[in-house]
This record gives sequence, structure tokens and C-alpha cells, in this order.
Amino acid sequence: MPDVLETSLTAVPANGVGGSLADGPSAPPAAAESPAFRHSRLRRLTDRWAHLAFLTCSLLVVGLIGGILFFLASRGLAAFWPAAGNTGRALSLSEVFLSADWSPSSDRFGILPFIAGSLGVTGLALLIAAPTGTLTAVFIAKMAPPWMRNLMRQVMDLLVGIPSVVYGIFGLTVVLPLVSHTWLADAPASGFAVSAVILAVMIVPTIVSLSTDAFESLPSSLDEGAQALGSSRWQAIWHVLIPAARPRLLTAAVLGLGRAIGEAMAVQMVIGNNPQWIALMRESTDRAPFLRALFTPAATLTTELVQELPNTAAGSTWNNVLFAMGLLLYLLTMVLILATRRLGRGKEA
Amino acid sequence: MQIRFLAQTILAGLLVAAAAQAQTVTVMGSTALGPIVKKAAEDYMKAHPGVQIAVSGGGSMTGLNQVTSGGCNIGISDVYATPEQDKAGIKNYNIVVQPFTLIAHPGVGVKNLSNQQAEQVFTGKIKNWQEVGGKNQKIVRVIRPESSGTRAVQKKEILHDQDFSKDVLIQDSTGAVVTTVATTPGAISFVELEHLEKNKARIAGIAYNGVACSNDAVKSGKYPVFSFGHAYTNPAKLGDPKVKQAVEGFLAYILSHEFQQNVLKAGYLPVDYVKSLKTKL
Repeated sequence: MPDVLETSLTAVPANGVGGSLADGPSAPPAAAESPAFRHSRLRRLTDRWAHLAFLTCSLLVVGLIGGILFFLASRGLAAFWPAAGNTGRALSLSEVFLSADWSPSSDRFGILPFIAGSLGVTGLALLIAAPTGTLTAVFIAKMAPPWMRNLMRQVMDLLVGIPSVVYGIFGLTVVLPLVSHTWLADAPASGFAVSAVILAVMIVPTIVSLSTDAFESLPSSLDEGAQALGSSRWQAIWHVLIPAARPRLLTAAVLGLGRAIGEAMAVQMVIGNNPQWIALMRESTDRAPFLRALFTPAATLTTELVQELPNTAAGSTWNNVLFAMGLLLYLLTMVLILATRRLGRGKEA
Repeated sequence: MQIRFLAQTILAGLLVAAAAQAQTVTVMGSTALGPIVKKAAEDYMKAHPGVQIAVSGGGSMTGLNQVTSGGCNIGISDVYATPEQDKAGIKNYNIVVQPFTLIAHPGVGVKNLSNQQAEQVFTGKIKNWQEVGGKNQKIVRVIRPESSGTRAVQKKEILHDQDFSKDVLIQDSTGAVVTTVATTPGAISFVELEHLEKNKARIAGIAYNGVACSNDAVKSGKYPVFSFGHAYTNPAKLGDPKVKQAVEGFLAYILSHEFQQNVLKAGYLPVDYVKSLKTKL
């Protein structure tokens, strides 16, 4: 029996290359009608179909991504050109990208508050999450005892899978009232600070997982060599391990950033969604504007999209500008992904 | 033989499908109005076995967009159509009345606001509950997004078309508004009456001009803040007279005295309650 199996296995590639199956000289004469022969033909057929299926799937994915870009661009750019199907007026680029005044029902469409909001909240989140995540990864990869390492890795994988709306509900019902009551004399706590903390909690697991891989993939000779030369644990980590792993650490951070900038639900529940936040900040006469900004209800590209897009009329200026914001978000994410690939390639060099 | 049988079956199936198609009424739009319209559809289909009514969501604006373009037969909406949509010739039916009330965090110490006070609270002229007889506590205005129907009603009825203060918290859904008001000291907002009734333990109602919002107060004309739930049709796009007949029959059923008794259970008021009152929206 093992013999038959063996011939059937070897026969496939041999016959596959050499033209006609039936009179392949290398095939044993009995194989012409044997199960092995039929098997091989079936396998070739399956191969061909599988090839086709894989090709279709990958083309579908590429087409889908292209299609989404085309759709976003056609609807979003309609905000700036008098396109077919527009019921509103065409806007100039400057009154959209350089204005902080967003009140669509009064025909004013400045999206600066959302761009600044998105960049601000993701930047703050990364500022919290990147050091925390990297140091946690150092601990997991280089210091923790094996049982703890296993436990931490599993916990991190679990955290990556928690849906963002859960973080949002937690933020809305627990964190906001707590912060407001403890530190703000019962003033509302919605704003950048709490949103950034929630986002940071969401992206830390991603950063930790990828950074742990980065540290674990470093040859142990680096660590050992540094310590043999007399450096302390801390010096070995700071001067040798982290620089050596830097490209992959940056990749981890950028991937975390990508997740943060696209997040809508969790942020939307805690940030306060006030599109007039820049104007509000300008009016205020506080002595500590930065601290105040942390707790001013603000808005981001994603939160505005998720709130308004389903409720605006197709083809209206308002709707078109929202699509333009979607396009901007798409391009931002694209840039981040390209940056990730660049940084990732850097590690081989 | 087999092929002919198969062909016959397919043909018969297509005919049945076509016949069913002719009698299918599609309804799209407001998720708030969805349940009550679904209930009406079930009753109506029971009484008219030849008619199929499919109710789906999507939001008020989706309903209006779809009915205007002919994507559905009836669009249900919490808001009035835009001028462009009106120009396309769509027709409005007010199907239910929706009362709205002011709500606040239970600790603010205010039970009533005059219409001028309410207006100034939301435009930002009044900044502290002390100014309207409450605690020394900053007022936190919680409102809905600009595209929301509730916000449109609030702007018209409470703010008399002035702009909202820039110092606001915005929440996407009425549920999130209620949670925010319940957990934020000094918060005030504006919601459908049924949400106050469901959350009496967490939030407090505020009377408007000395009248607390209730079904009876709206019915008697003492309480002026309410809006209509709308059903829109596009007569030009209905085409098939059979569909047109089914659509008109269904809307007539929703407006009938028989069905309007059901809407009270869903948190709405029958339209004939306010028929005598002038329609303000």
C-alpha cells in the first residue's frame, strides 16, 4: 500500500509537466487505469479551479479597494465642482480646509476643527500608548518569567479583540463621571483628554504585541554581548536593544496610530462632538488654554461622519463635504500604511 | 422532459414573483417611526391578503431620498422634506404627533423654565443655574447633531430659530443624551416625552412656561412643543395603479381612527388630538 501512495504522489508533478497523461513514459504501465492516475487528473482540475478561485478573490479585493476610493472621490470631489446630481453650491477649497466655522445649516463648511481634532486626539493617544506599549514589550520579551510572559501575551491578544463600542460605553458611563467628579468640580469631562486615554488603552495591545515580536526576534547575542561588555540591564535595553529594534517599533506605533485615527464609536461617545470647539477656545479667556483644551468637548473626522452622514440628503453640499472628509480620512490612512511599509522595509537594510 | 418541467417551474415562479411584486409596497426611513408603521403594516396585510408591505430602516433622510428618487413607495421621516425634495413633487402625510420635553440632571434645583429662559439657556446667554433660581452650577447643554430631527424641532420651538451656544456637548442618539444628562451635574437637554417617562429614576423633567409635558397637556393645547411623524409618497413615481391603490389604502389605514388608538402605546399621540390646533412646524 505505501508503494501505491508513493507513486501517486510522485506521479503528479512528473505527468503534469510532460504533455499527455496516458502515455507518459515514466508512469508505470499499470498506472494508466489505476486510481492513482484518476486521482492525479482530478488534482490537476482542482488545482486549476483553485487557482481561478484565488485569482478571483484577490481581484475582488483589489477592485473593492479601488471601487471605494473611486466612490469616495466622486462624491467627495463633487463638493468642489458643480457636478451632476448636486443640489447645493460648489465650495472653494479654502472655505473648506482653512475655515474653522462648521455650521452646515447656515451654509458654512469649515472642516478645520475635525482635522485638528483627529490629529490632536490620535497624537495624544500615541504619546501615551507608544512609550507604555514599548516598555511593556521590553518587560514581556526580556524580563518577565516565562509563565508571566505567556499570560501577558494572551491577555494582550484578548485585548486586541475587544470591540471599540465596549470601550466607548465604559468611557461614557464610568470614566467621564469619575474624572468629572474627582478632578473637575463636576464640570463635564468630555474632550481630548479622556478620548485620548481611551484610544491609548485600545491601541496599547496592538503596539505591545508587535513590539514584543520585535524584541524577541533580536539575536540574543546583542543582549549578551552588551552585558558582557559591562553594561547594566538598563543600558543594554536603552542603548542596544531599542535602537536595534527601532524600525519594527516604529512600524508598531504607526499601525497603532492607524487604528486610532480610524476609530469612531469609542471616541464619539466620550469626546463631546462639538464642531465649534476652536471658536469656543478662541472666545475663552483662560490662563491655561492647553489644560482647558483637554477638557473642551471637541469633534474629529470620524465622529462627525458617523453622526451626520446617515441624516443628510444625497447630493447636498453638506453630504458632499462629509464625503470629502471621508476621502481625506482614507488618504490619511493610506499614507500611514505606506509609511508602515517603508519603516518595515528599513529593518532589512 | 425534465428540462421542460424545469422551464415550466421557473416560468411559473417568475409569474408568481411578478404578481407578488405588483402588490408589494416598500416603506423606508426613520428608525423611530419604524415600529409603529410595522405594526400598521401587519394589521393591514391581515385585512388585505393580496398586499405585501415591507418596512425597513435607514434613517429619516434615507427615507426622504429614496421616496424622492422612486427607490421606495413610502418614505417615513421625523423631519420635513428639504425644499429640493418638495420641488420634486412629494406629498406629506402627518401620521403621528410626537411631544418633546426639557430634561435635566436631577440635582439642578429647577423645575420650570419660561420660554424666554429656556431660549437663553440654549443660546448661551444664561450660563449658570443660579440665574434661573437653581444651584450655583454651570449649565451643561447636551444637544443632538445638526442633522437630527429633534434638534430641528428644538431650534424652531425653543430657540425660535436662533443659533445654539458654541459651548455644547453633542450626543448622537437619544439614549446617549439621557445617559449624559443623568451622569453630568448641571446638564440640560431636550428629548421625546417617552424617554423621560422611561428614565424618570435618572433624569428630571422641566416644565415649560409652567406646564409639564404630558399627553393630556398636548391634547388640550396647553403644551406647545411637539412635532409630527411624517409619511411621504411620490405620486409621480408610483406607476402601477395597483401599487398606488395599496399605498393610498395603507396610509388611509394609518390615519384611521381605528389604528390611531394604537400609537399611544408607542409613545406617540394620534394626529386628530391636535388637528384643531394650528400646525406650527
